[in-house]
Amino acid sequence: MHPITQTLREIYAILYNLGFEVALGPELEYEYYNFDALNFPKDHPARDMQDTFWINGQGKSEIGPRGQKLGRLLLATQTSAGQVRYMETHTTPLRTVVIGKVFRNEATDATHEAQFYQVEPLYVDKQVSATHLKGILDHLFKKLFGEKVETRFRPSFFPFTEPSFEVDIKWQKPGESEPRWLEVVGAGLVHPNVLRAGGVDPDHWQGFAFAFGFDRIVMLKHGIDDIRFLYNGDLRLVNQF
Amino acid sequence: MKISHNWLQTYFQKSIPSPLELENFFALHSFEVEEIANVTLVEKSSDGIEHIIKDFCLNVKILPDRAHYALCHRGIADEISVITKESVKERWFLKNKPKVSNPTILSARIEDIKFCRRYTGQYLEIKRVEPSFLWMKTSLEAIGQRAINSIVDITNYIMFDIGQPLHAFDASKIKGQIVIRAAKDGEKITLLDDREISLTSEDHVIADDEGPLDIAGVKGGKRAEISSTTIKILLTSCNFDPVMVRRTSTRYNLRNEASKRFENEITPELAREALDHLSALTAELYPEAIFGPITDVYHNKPKQTIIEFDPSYLEERLGVKVPLAEARDILERMDIKISVQDSASQTIWFLAIPYKRLDLVIKEDIVEEIGRVYGYDHIEGILPLKLSKAPVLNPSFYLSEKIKNILVEKGFSEVSLYTLVEKGEIEILKPLAKDKAFARPDLSLGMVACLERNALNADLLGYEVIKIFEIGHIFKKDSEEIHLAIGVRQTKKVKGLKSENLVKEVLDALGDELSVNLNSDSGLSLRQAFSKTKIDENGIAEVNLSQLIEIFKAGANLKELTLEDLAFKPASNNRYKKFSTYPFIVRDVAVFVPESLESKQVWSVIEKSLEKIQSKDLLVRSALFDTFKKGDRVSYAFRLVLQSMERTMTDDEANKIMETIHNGLKKEGWEVR
Repeated sequence: MHPITQTLREIYAILYNLGFEVALGPELEYEYYNFDALNFPKDHPARDMQDTFWINGQGKSEIGPRGQKLGRLLLATQTSAGQVRYMETHTTPLRTVVIGKVFRNEATDATHEAQFYQVEPLYVDKQVSATHLKGILDHLFKKLFGEKVETRFRPSFFPFTEPSFEVDIKWQKPGESEPRWLEVVGAGLVHPNVLRAGGVDPDHWQGFAFAFGFDRIVMLKHGIDDIRFLYNGDLRLVNQF
Repeated sequence: MKISHNWLQTYFQKSIPSPLELENFFALHSFEVEEIANVTLVEKSSDGIEHIIKDFCLNVKILPDRAHYALCHRGIADEISVITKESVKERWFLKNKPKVSNPTILSARIEDIKFCRRYTGQYLEIKRVEPSFLWMKTSLEAIGQRAINSIVDITNYIMFDIGQPLHAFDASKIKGQIVIRAAKDGEKITLLDDREISLTSEDHVIADDEGPLDIAGVKGGKRAEISSTTIKILLTSCNFDPVMVRRTSTRYNLRNEASKRFENEITPELAREALDHLSALTAELYPEAIFGPITDVYHNKPKQTIIEFDPSYLEERLGVKVPLAEARDILERMDIKISVQDSASQTIWFLAIPYKRLDLVIKEDIVEEIGRVYGYDHIEGILPLKLSKAPVLNPSFYLSEKIKNILVEKGFSEVSLYTLVEKGEIEILKPLAKDKAFARPDLSLGMVACLERNALNADLLGYEVIKIFEIGHIFKKDSEEIHLAIGVRQTKKVKGLKSENLVKEVLDALGDELSVNLNSDSGLSLRQAFSKTKIDENGIAEVNLSQLIEIFKAGANLKELTLEDLAFKPASNNRYKKFSTYPFIVRDVAVFVPESLESKQVWSVIEKSLEKIQSKDLLVRSALFDTFKKGDRVSYAFRLVLQSMERTMTDDEANKIMETIHNGLKKEGWEVR
């Protein structure tokens, strides 16, 4: 079984036991869910942070379930696009994990691919704080990388979370003499505008979300040094695991 | 953005932390430092003496929220001040106010007030334009900027100092009144770099009676350029709409340090302050300079942002008790003015936000500011309690994972291939490459190539049949579907074995196993869907899983699906073993030996030969593929796969290895066939 599937299963089993259900979004997404609903201002440089594959000439006039203009079509740049879709169709409190393939229009090399897999847990409840986010991250990464692993938060920016965090894990790679901090997760408390877009009242409910490319987790776990090997279907790699 | 360590130091009385310490402070409290470079500059001063200047250049990654205020040395100095509690000094050149002793006013008019939120300008007369001043030249060069002449340098220096782009014009070239207006379609301007641009009505210019002088917010024009003979100067400092500047700079591929700052939006309040800094520094460096009065056209002054903040909200969101005095202190160090309103039930802070902090709008922003400075390391993890209801398992996920289990059980390997391909129905606007211009319309095409590639490696892998599958999304003109593709390729003819039959067999098995626990109608349709799937001439079957998921949903008891049913096996912990990407060579050797000998004994003779010539690591796979008896002898045939990690092996090399092996076998008195 592909190491991506194996790691995804490992991650999901941990989250399932914490009550998260799977949500699978489309890969072909509307501008609305990928950007507008996630509080990306129109024409703002924040949209630059994610180089997007836009689709040629489709979908301009579609209207969403809440009367919103769905806009142009693109290949999803982030699983966060699935957050609002999920909130639109489920009631609070909720715990979900969006799993999907996402795309970035950037040159490929050993550590960058134009496609990769993300998982994005979303948690909405009453009285949610950053401690809960940290609790879940600690739990998840200790299960994945061993009890000694630590996590730390650093300030960051995503339009869809406030505050936003970059989460590092401190882990000793096999073959290395001491543990190092590795940047693996983007996280934050869900921005009130995103909750509103999902039909959730931010005065009563709060949430957190975090996302990571699990290709990178696969690479760290197994010591794979080139992300492109994950997608070329070469059994010399796949069948090692 | 590039920041000079020496430049930062000019903001503080005491020595500032070292670049490495700053990197650490910033990482935990503000932003990432991507690189620290050592800078050594050797410059000659006007008296001919050589000076060696040492500095560090920090490349700081400023994300869009902080770009309103932190794309400059002052912004970074303010962060240091907030984190270390050291206060920032006033700039040394602000001590002397420039004397206004010339009545010249160049009047200005804003035609499009949505685009130009503020215009400030000041007339200046000097005796001549001095060449670059050494200290300023080194300051600019330390951050990778080129010094031009001292007047242009001063405008650049102030921009990198406090974040406001500025422009100086040769005032003697300006005819009539300055006007900031939309350009006319087809209107031309020659830029400082001699490039001629034909503008559109969506661009904006600073113009005079003759035409454009400058593409507003983007790039200066040639006509009123500061030259070595300039003595009359117009200094300007404006504020422009970020989106319109961005469109123009993108349209002409002119993104630069100035446009970048406008595009990220800066407060119009900064325009006047920057002009004051500009003229003060000019007065400092040109003591004989004569200034005119300031023109300030400012139609819509923004309202100051006031955030109502209940300090208990801090603990609610961070889950950390920040001492309130500490929280207040942090905000005050950011120049946020706090007025407290106490009532019986609660305390509210009214926070007056400095104009430049366009990123601070809602109470969550305040939580972030206090949290990051106080330190996120105070956040302790608490695992939330489980919800009373168990999570529902997504049926699509369930079905896909079940299929993976069955196929892996049957000896298939899972692959994950590229979504972007050469042909399809959904076209990408700006593809990375011609062969990645469409979202894939099926999985089969990728599977053919994948079978092909793996078949070439069959000897290396030791497979007689390549069996793979993929589950992935495909894209048709009006739909996105989840598909499953199963592919089989024989690399060797085996009697009674046909790829097609292998695929057929596994399709039937999928139908049977997946229809267990479905009601009989759905079970039947599911089995039929699998058994009727066409197998193409390449040995590939492609199934529309989206359809099957619908059948499955209709016929399964979805509430009873649990993760336990999927019986996930523990994930592999294997470390990845690098494999060679160079071609491999296959050689066979067959040898007759006395029948009492086992193949192991024969193989150890071959291994010894390889060791003798230090070629054992070139052997990447070996197999005994044939054994037969003839009389009192037995023949063993071995297949050797040879490959180097570092280079392409030659036939010659392989021949030599085989010769050594043959000789080794012959030495034992055996007959090599």
